[in-house]
Amino acid sequence: MSVLLELRDLGKVWSIARTGESVVALEAITLDVMPGEFLVLLGPSGCGKSTLLQIVAGLEKPTRGEIRFPDRNGSQKLTSMVFQEYALFPWRTVTENVVFGPEVRKVPAAERETTARRLIDLVKLRGFETRYPHELSGGMRQRVALARALANDPAILLFDEPLAALDAQTRRVLQDELARIWAETGKTFVYVTHSLQEAVLLGTRIVLMTARPGRIKRVIEVRLPRPRSLTRRAEAEMLETLDDLLRDEVKHAMEAET
Amino acid sequence: MSPSLARKIGSSLFILVVWQALVQTGNLNELFLPAPLSVLKAMWALTLSGRLPWAVLVSLNRVVQGFVYGALAGIVLGLLAGAIGWVEDVLDPWIASLYPIPKSALFPLFLLWFGLGDPSKIITIAVGVLFLVLVNTMTGVKSINPLLVKAALDLGASRLQVFVKVILPGALPNIFTGLRLGAGMALILVFITEIEATKAGLGFLLWESFQLLETKDVFAGVVTFGLLGVATTWVLQWIERRTCPWARR
Repeated sequence: MSVLLELRDLGKVWSIARTGESVVALEAITLDVMPGEFLVLLGPSGCGKSTLLQIVAGLEKPTRGEIRFPDRNGSQKLTSMVFQEYALFPWRTVTENVVFGPEVRKVPAAERETTARRLIDLVKLRGFETRYPHELSGGMRQRVALARALANDPAILLFDEPLAALDAQTRRVLQDELARIWAETGKTFVYVTHSLQEAVLLGTRIVLMTARPGRIKRVIEVRLPRPRSLTRRAEAEMLETLDDLLRDEVKHAMEAET
Repeated sequence: MSPSLARKIGSSLFILVVWQALVQTGNLNELFLPAPLSVLKAMWALTLSGRLPWAVLVSLNRVVQGFVYGALAGIVLGLLAGAIGWVEDVLDPWIASLYPIPKSALFPLFLLWFGLGDPSKIITIAVGVLFLVLVNTMTGVKSINPLLVKAALDLGASRLQVFVKVILPGALPNIFTGLRLGAGMALILVFITEIEATKAGLGFLLWESFQLLETKDVFAGVVTFGLLGVATTWVLQWIERRTCPWARR
């Protein structure tokens, strides 16, 4: 299978204007993203995983290194982002939010309608098409954000801690929904989280990152059958391994701060 | 009728009845405080003679023109200054120095520059409206969650599309706050600009009646100004509900 996205020796340095300091957010990130995989970027907060996602999305520029989409054909944007705080347009209804991408790309109205209906069905929001975001629960808002990201038919969906703002039950339901939608659409998911459980439940591959500077510590293949459950032995063992690795990192990060 | 509405109507009626009674029993001099019914009669007479409708028409013409010019300029400049750093830098010293000046204080200058006719009055009103709308529009733009702009760019929007589809609707609730304040300012300024050097308008009618000590007619003018204020608020609220159906009030 050919590589969908290549990251080569990516680095990002933030300069803080107020103090004149510079902070290394990312260092030596080299990674291949394969088509159709569910890649989880896992790491403690401050490890630069969100920054990495923004760079892949083209919303930030790397200080060094390269991003390549080897099989890129045409000029269509290859990624779409789902943000932690939903980032829905409050003045647009569910349908109007979903069609934002096709609308700015001047897709004909009839086609937009069809896309919207299909995606609203996919994320199970039928009957809520004319609601405004503030009339929806957090979980429903995130479903809208997912449908909106899918509307541009990107090759890669980028998730920036999409479930972090939700309560535990809703999060659990949406984790299953994400696994279902990933399987149904066959899209490539790149998913940032600091939740070990989420990584084990969802990922086909987990990229464990270190903090300050953000580097790749280890890449772990997850060959567990789906649907997964944290109460099963294999999942529990994987969780424990990750927990040990991550705890080291958090400790290092805290020591670096003091 | 809800108890709340009953209390509101009751309180209004009570004041009006007591007021009317105080005048009729000779406790209040109509020269200073004409009775409610006398004011109504005066308004009726002024309406029949055509003086009041004409005055309202002349003043509304000035208010609407000044308001529309000021509001449009305020919205455009406010959006640009809120969204684009260098525009804000260019405008900032002007806003900072002109905003605190009561715009009525500029009226003599505008008289000098633009003459005694309508333009000087319309410009005074426009300038008063402009600053309120501009400052509120800017606040609106700056209050937009930057994540929404990011999301729009991520979905493929151009800079212009971000402006039209994110910045403008995002600032709309604050723009309406500015418009409401601006409408109030427009009524204040039309009155002030009609006191001197004019021969028509609601402010002129009111001031002339005062000079003739026709207190009933002064009151008729005051009440009409009040009605105009209520009417403009209603119109703006109606437009706001139409254009911002998502905003809860």
